Amino acid sequence: MLILAGTVSIIEFMKLSKDVNALIEDNYKTILAAKSMLEALEREDSGILLLLLGQWDDGRIILDSADNKFMTALDNAGKNITEPREDIYIEKIRESYQIYHSKWQRPIVDTDKQGDINWYEQDMHKSFLEVKSAVNDLMILNQTSMYKEASLLKEKSRRAIMPGIVSIVAALVFSIILNYFITKNFISPLNQMVDAVREVGPGNKVMKTDISSEDELKLLENEINKLINRLS
Amino acid sequence: MRLEVIFKFLGFILLFNALFLLISFIISAFSGESSVIPLAYSMLICIIFGLFPMIFVGKVEYLSFNEGISIVVYGWLITCVIGSLPYLMWGGEFTLINSWFESVSGFTTTGSSILNDVEKLPKGLLFWRSSTHWIGGLGVIMFVLLILPTSQNPRLTLINTEMSDISRSTFQYRARKTAYVLAMIYAGLTVMETLLLTLAGMGLFDAINHSFATIATGGFSTRNLSIAAYNQLSIEVIIMLFMILSGINFGILFNTVSGKSPNIFNSRIVRAYLFILLAGIVVATTDLYLEGVYSFSQSLRAAAFQVISLGTTTGFATQATEVWPSFTQLILIFFTIQCAMVGSTSGGLKFDRIFIFFKSIVKQVKMMKHPNAVITIKVDNISLDDQRESNVMNFIVLYVITFFITTLILSVFNTDLITAFSASIATLGNVGPGFGQVSSLGNYADLPVFSKLVLTFNMLLGRLEILSIIAFLTIRRKEF
Repeated sequence: MLILAGTVSIIEFMKLSKDVNALIEDNYKTILAAKSMLEALEREDSGILLLLLGQWDDGRIILDSADNKFMTALDNAGKNITEPREDIYIEKIRESYQIYHSKWQRPIVDTDKQGDINWYEQDMHKSFLEVKSAVNDLMILNQTSMYKEASLLKEKSRRAIMPGIVSIVAALVFSIILNYFITKNFISPLNQMVDAVREVGPGNKVMKTDISSEDELKLLENEINKLINRLS
Repeated sequence: MRLEVIFKFLGFILLFNALFLLISFIISAFSGESSVIPLAYSMLICIIFGLFPMIFVGKVEYLSFNEGISIVVYGWLITCVIGSLPYLMWGGEFTLINSWFESVSGFTTTGSSILNDVEKLPKGLLFWRSSTHWIGGLGVIMFVLLILPTSQNPRLTLINTEMSDISRSTFQYRARKTAYVLAMIYAGLTVMETLLLTLAGMGLFDAINHSFATIATGGFSTRNLSIAAYNQLSIEVIIMLFMILSGINFGILFNTVSGKSPNIFNSRIVRAYLFILLAGIVVATTDLYLEGVYSFSQSLRAAAFQVISLGTTTGFATQATEVWPSFTQLILIFFTIQCAMVGSTSGGLKFDRIFIFFKSIVKQVKMMKHPNAVITIKVDNISLDDQRESNVMNFIVLYVITFFITTLILSVFNTDLITAFSASIATLGNVGPGFGQVSSLGNYADLPVFSKLVLTFNMLLGRLEILSIIAFLTIRRKEF
């Protein structure tokens, strides 16, 4: 039973290992990509604020590098579609980012937009929040799925461990009961026979025990009695 | 006391459980569910522990009373332990204590659950859950008596310890015949209800599970909303009919089928039982209607189902009774205390004892007026001697004391009074749902761990009858 429990546990743990790998492959990669996109977005927002202040060179450098980072992360997420409707989420990010991107790609420095905080608040920041919200949705989708998967894995790990625990307890109980039967059926009659043989002497020519079974122990008792008769 | 003999009989009990685990395993395997390994493993343990005492122990010619009562009590305990293994190994909402609670609740036919989401369980496990009701309804010992390859004495000892004395009085057959009569009625009612529920449009799997739970007066459903999930009058009527039949003494049902007396048409106690149920329905319907909870027809439908469900200790639900008027709730609590008839599959106080209690009061009044009169209490022409009458009174007192103590214990763990009171009486009476936190459509999941343990002890006391447990505990001190 312990061997069976061990085999079941090994098979279950092998499955579990595969599931953990799948969990990392499926959801965690996309969550990392989403985090990367959010960081890039925050950097782009800083870049836009620099452009708004008229710092063309610094702003452009930050924007170009953040854009590059965002697009790489978006491509990675696009290649790792594992959840139902995840492609729609990706497409939504792509569309909202294109709108956002088109707004800051046009010149801001030396135009009427430079220093216009109202334009930033009402137009640019609104687009920024839309992209951020779309990325967050993708992250929540994968986090929820990851949580569900992790809960399932917790269940699976329990199912892998439980047969082993139950087997150990069952084996302990079994050994106690077996010990009782062996003592009752073999050791106790043998002890009785030892005591009975000790009592055989000049005044007592018969070995008496309480063995009622018709097995080898009874046969041994009979043979010892015959031996006593032959010797006396 | 011969432990090896007790082990042998416990082995039979485990093998009987293994049979139902096998069916559950097959269902699970065919459906490709996650409960395959837990069920297979539990079955294997039953087979190993069931078979190996038979290697060492030969035919048993006689059983002493102490051995008999030990087999019955240990039999129930070991069945409940084995019953909890598939739950424990499967996981989900089943912690160690929750698994034990669900198993005891199943086998004692209480029907209280710790599950928030029953529908999440795999089919194999759902079937095992209903099977625990079906095995426990008739009593695992009774099933074992049918297949036991042993002489008359052990059977008689076991049947005398498994059945209460007033319950035995309606069965004037040999031990094996009594077990056959019970099993035939039991299986017959189950098959009939399954067929009727299937015809009424319930799926075969659900129909079998609900039949198991009805005939055993258990109450486990395969749906979160219990019978309310179907919202179908025909299904409710069928279940009500079979709940009533399962609440009647099986000996009287057998007499009805075989044309003997007392039968359901001439038994005074059956008439009294049905009259009380009818009166409860009328009063509850009137209150629900006058309080404006439902229309008249809805009041009748809801009241009839809930009164019969609690009055037969089944515990199915079609309505959330915790929102009903206080008066109707009190009526339902009365039926939770009263329980069904002796010789049926129900546990708890039982209607016959209340019937005898009132007859005894009438007798006392008559004795006051005529001190020299010789008055005997009769139940369906069977005279009760003073000893039996006294046993009934003692049982009622013990029942009330037990109920009071468990309510007190539950209250210590910050459980509100309504929940503590109704949970105690619902588990002691093997009814299932109570009020407050443990209402008809609620569950016992949020109760503290210790409260759950106390309630499982209550369920076993209710099923095995308090005196049997006391007898068992006293012999243990002397003989082990």
